This record gives sequence, structure tokens and C-alpha cells, in this order.
Amino acid sequence: MSILALENLGYTYDKAKTNVLKNITYEFEKGKIYSIVGKSGAGKTTLLSLLSGLAHPTEGSIIFNGQDIAKIDKYKYRSNYVGVIFQSFNLLPHLTARENVELSIDISSKKIENKKKYALEMLEKVELTEDKSNRRILKLSGGEQQRVAIARALSYNPDIILADEPTGNLDGETQDQIMSIFRKLAEEEDKCIILVTHSPQVANASDVVYEINVDKKSAKR
Amino acid sequence: MYILKNALRTINRSKGRNILIGIIVLVIAVSSCIALSIRQAAATAKESGKESLEITAQISIDRQAMINSANSGENSKSVREMFQQSEDLSLDEMLIYSDSEYVKDFYYTLSASLNGSDDLEAVSTQTSDETEDNSSDSTQTMPGGDMPQDMKGGGMSRGMGTQGDFTLTGYSSKSAMTDFLAGTSYISDGVIFDEASTDILECIISDELAALNEIKIGDTISLLNPNNEDETFELTVVGTYTNTESAVTGQSMMGFNNSSDPANQIYTNYNVLKSISDSSAENAETETDEVTGMTSTSAIRSQVSGTYSFKDIESYEGFQEDAYTLGLSEDYTIVSSDVSSYKQSLEPLEDLSKYATYFIIVVLLIGGIILVVFNIFNIRERKYEIGVLTAIGMKKKKVAVQFVTELFAVTFIAIVIGTSVGAVVSVPVTNKLLEGQISSTEQQDEEKMSNFSSNSDMPSGTMQRNSEMNVISGGLGQQVDNYISEISSATNITVILQLIGIGVVLTLISSLAAVVFVMRYEPLKILSNRA
Repeated sequence: MSILALENLGYTYDKAKTNVLKNITYEFEKGKIYSIVGKSGAGKTTLLSLLSGLAHPTEGSIIFNGQDIAKIDKYKYRSNYVGVIFQSFNLLPHLTARENVELSIDISSKKIENKKKYALEMLEKVELTEDKSNRRILKLSGGEQQRVAIARALSYNPDIILADEPTGNLDGETQDQIMSIFRKLAEEEDKCIILVTHSPQVANASDVVYEINVDKKSAKR
Repeated sequence: MYILKNALRTINRSKGRNILIGIIVLVIAVSSCIALSIRQAAATAKESGKESLEITAQISIDRQAMINSANSGENSKSVREMFQQSEDLSLDEMLIYSDSEYVKDFYYTLSASLNGSDDLEAVSTQTSDETEDNSSDSTQTMPGGDMPQDMKGGGMSRGMGTQGDFTLTGYSSKSAMTDFLAGTSYISDGVIFDEASTDILECIISDELAALNEIKIGDTISLLNPNNEDETFELTVVGTYTNTESAVTGQSMMGFNNSSDPANQIYTNYNVLKSISDSSAENAETETDEVTGMTSTSAIRSQVSGTYSFKDIESYEGFQEDAYTLGLSEDYTIVSSDVSSYKQSLEPLEDLSKYATYFIIVVLLIGGIILVVFNIFNIRERKYEIGVLTAIGMKKKKVAVQFVTELFAVTFIAIVIGTSVGAVVSVPVTNKLLEGQISSTEQQDEEKMSNFSSNSDMPSGTMQRNSEMNVISGGLGQQVDNYISEISSATNITVILQLIGIGVVLTLISSLAAVVFVMRYEPLKILSNRA
């Protein structure tokens, strides 16, 4: 059974009145990595915004666990059910990596006994040392920031992880490391990983690839 | 809870920005603390002054109103005619108004001007060539009669009177002996006269007079009616008193009037003087001048003066209305030098308090605008943070609460520091400002005084006996030193609460801008614009 489904999803910008997305019907299941690919301007990031509840579809609906997300509190949806890894990470620079993760746990209202220890474990999971975890964001490299963003997205244990160009700014080796983290999350923790990317390597490493506005689904595995 | 933790962490991590906000609030807090302390000091001084104030008042002819009435043409009579026709209240009339529910106590005095016999010489500090002409049996004719030292609201004698060397004052009770109550006079030997006695003619005299004439306790002194020197009255000296102000007061009159010298004041009870006055009136000869038609009498001139005392200013103000309800004519006015003195003592502090109020308004207005503008810039700068927090699921309302909490925390710390600084500096600053205010008030008073002296061509009786004018000029001339010139503490719990109130209002107003901005921002727009 799909955890997330898009039914005839369409999106039009208010001003341009042009359809960015039209009649998109996708299904996403737990334990799999999905890649959404497409040309620049095809609406990949817009689709991710719709999936994360930051934008509202102008047509069709997004069904999460059998419920239309239009009827769910968007803040609760974002803070508890989906973990979003933004292309530019969107971490708070005045906080350390650990504090960024802790804040995310606080916002989700998850009851965790020792938040500090838990946040460090989350960061360790994405291969970030304690020393680096206690550094402020701007003192970390792009790859490390990406890991913090992943740890933050995982911190409240959501079923779905959404990532926008997760390997966009990273070198080949780091790309592989990040992808292996996603693979682990899908296979070992039964998460549904949805990646928006234009990288063929990332697409190849995914279980399912959706090519946007081409009405084509290709199953890799 | 995490909102507070996050707010405090953000304050700690953004020191520069918060120090700047803190400095703005600190300046507002210190300025407001000083201004509020000034206001508080004025209010406290007013209240404590009110509590300790003993108010006495007299009813006297409202000559100023007569002058105004004559000058404005409302009345066809001349000022002279109006003055001549006006009469002081009799004791019976005064007693009517003493029944007012507002009056706590009423006492009265009777004063008469008398000469001494050959063996009773008046104390005089006149130059030697004048002394000879001013022997005890000499008489001085004064227009408008005498003006005893302690007669604040007394009337004016009719017609031409003959001035004696001594002023004999009869008191209705000890309450009327204000000099003794105030401590400026005290019994130095013997006892005070019997308050209620009507038969035994007892008196007390100044120790200077006693020394000059070698009078001992138990001796008898003879006083003469200055209008009829065959009429003598004998009084037994039962005590002597010392007047600590005798060397100062009355000096202005001493050059030509011995009876104005405090040393020549003889005190007895009201009944004694009344019996003397009555017997003199019985034996008096009355003559009518054929030319002027004026009637003159050889009886002793005496004047009665009543004093009403009140428990507080409200009672005094109530009496001012009630007396007219009880039938007091509009030609009379009720005056109290105590109230004038009290109000005048507060004048500089109240003026300062008024300026302090304007100052607070200006500081709060400018400070508030600066804080609002600063906060708007602050929020715009933190747009990204708002976008991230809302994108990861923090509700806008909570983001707004966090921002307001940050502002509250900074404001609170700044207000605590500002209040401490303000409390320390408010006393010296207030005293310094008060000093300037007093000197400015004194300057104004001097100008007013010079205005009064320019009116010296008015009839002497008018200026001298117009009670209201006397109170004003007396107040200006004598009570300048009574200004509240120093405060010891000003910042109290009221000021602190007011400052907290100011802090809350300022924070709410300035954070309102933050709230509006936070509620308006859409996370996707912020983040995509940034991307």
C-alpha cells in the first residue's frame, strides 16, 4: 500500500496562469527510493514543495496514508510526517548542528528523554563526529551541512524523506556516501525516500524513477 | 518551553543586535525613571505636606474684589467709599460660620492699642533724638488705626484713631496663641494668665519690657486709654515671655510705631480685654465733627480677629463654599496663609513634575518609534530564520511568540539596569533640576514683588490690610525659603511598576510590527527567493 499518492495533481502559478504541473499521478511506498527527474523548469522543486505541504495544489490531491493532506494541519504534517532536505539545506546558522537537530525534535513535540544524546546519535548516523556536531553550521563544509540536514529530517522519525537535489553540490565520493545513507534508511528503516534530482547517477541508484511531465515511470529494481 | 530556550539562545548568539535594542530601551528606562521619580517625589511631597499641614483661615474683606469692581465700572462707588463702608465681621458673625461642619476649631483674639503710665516705658529702638518725643505718654495719630502683629484677618478701625505704645491682646484660648504654639514665644518666668478668668486682670509681658521697667512677677502695671488718658486700667503681671523673633519682626514698623514691636505686646485673656473695652465704651464721650460729620469716640479702639482651623485642605475648601451658604457676603473672602504657603512650597517641584510628564511623553514617543523601526529592520533581516522555522513545521504563531519573548527579555534586562541607574541618579538629578527650578521661580517672584512695590501709591490701609494681598506678598517675601528644595528618595515600587508598564507597552507596540511581518511571510516564498 502506498504511503503517499498524487492523484491528477496540477499546479498553476497565480500570476503566470501557466500550468507548471498537470495531471500527475504517482504513488510512493515505504522501503523504496524514488527519484523525480526532469528538465530544468519542469517543476521538480515545485512538486517537492507540494509534497512537503509548503505549497497547495491547484488541481488534484495528495493523499498521505489515505488522507488528503489538504485536510491535515500543514505544520504538523511537516514537523512529524515528512522530513524535508532542502537543496540549500536551510539550516539555522546561529545554531550548532546538534542544536538544529534538537530544535527539529522540539518542534515535532516528540517525547525524547535525552534530546542532546539523541541528536548526537542522529548526527553520528549520518557520519558526523561529536566535535563537528557541536560546531555552528557555517563552520561545516557543504557535505557536512547536507548530513546535518538529513539528520534533522530524520530526527523525528518521519515515514517519508523528501530531498531536493541532495547531491547537487557534492563531490562523487560524498554523493555515494549520501546515497548509501538513503539506501540504509529505505531498506533498514522502511522509509520512503523521494529525491528530486537531475543527476543520472542518483536516478540510477533509485528503485523507481518518475520523469516529470513525460508521463513515464521506470522501475529500476 | 523550547520557545523560551530558543529565544534566550538566539539573544545570546545575536549579541550585537540585542545590545543595540538594550541600549535604546536603557536610555528610555533611565530617562523615564528620572522623570517618573520626579513625578513621584512631587506626589509624595504633596501628600505628606497635606498630612502634616495644619490649616487655619480668616475671613476678611475682599478689597481686591472691591478694587476690581471699582476699576471695571461695575460699581458706581469709588474705592474710597467702598472701603469706608465696608465693615469687618463681628465676633457674633464669625461664630455663625464656626458652626460649619468643616470647621475643626475656632478661636479669636481681641486687640487694643494702649499707652503706658508714667512708670511704664515702652521698649524702643529708635534713634536718640526721636526717643524724647516718643515717651510713654506720647501718642501717635495713625490713619486707619493700628495693626497688631498677630492680627492676620482683623478689621480696620473706623475714623481717626490714636495709636498707643502698647498692644494689648486678649486670647479666647491657648489655641489662639500661635506664637507660643509655634515655639517662637515661650514663658520665661512666672505662669501664663488664667484662660477663663473674667474678674482677675492678669497679663504676661515680654521679658524685655519687664527688664526695662524692672517689673517683677506679681507687680501691677497701669495702662492708659490713648484717647482719654484719665482712664487707666491695672493689670497684674503673672508671667514674662521671651519672643525669639522679637529682634527681627516688627522692625519695619518700629521706626514710628512702638506698638508694633513684639516686646511691647501684652497678652491677656479675651474676657479681660473685653471687660476693659466694654467699660471704656460705657464711659466714653462721643463727638461729631461739624465739618466732616464724622463721629469720634474716646473709647479704646479694639479689634477682634477670628481664626478657623481645619483638619485638612478638603475641609478648608468645603468651608470656602459652606461659609457663603451660611450667609457670608460676597464682599468677604476666606484666606489661609497656610494653604498658600503649602501650595507655594510645592510650586517648583510641581513645575518640574509637569515638565517631567512632557519629557516622558516625548521620550516614549521617540523611543517607541525608534524601537518599532528597528524591529521592522530586525525582522526583515531574520526573514530567512522565519522561513526555515515555519518550513520545518513551527507554527507562525509560535515564531511570533519567540520573537516577542526575545524582545521582552532584552527589554526586561534593560529596564532592570535602567531602573537601577535611574534610581541612583534620579535623586541628584532631581535635586539639581529642582535647584534650577527654584532659582527660576524665585526670579519670577522677585519680578512679582517689584510689581507690587510699583503699586505703592495705593492707600496704605488698602495694601496693608488687604488680607489676600498680604498673603501673596507675605508668601513671596517670607516663604521663599520654604520651597521643597531637596528630595531624599524618589524611586519607589510605584515608579518601578510604572517602568515595567512602560516596558510592556513599548515591547508590545514594537513587537506588533514583528508579529505582523511573521504572520505575513510565507516560508516557500522566503526560501525560494533566497535560493
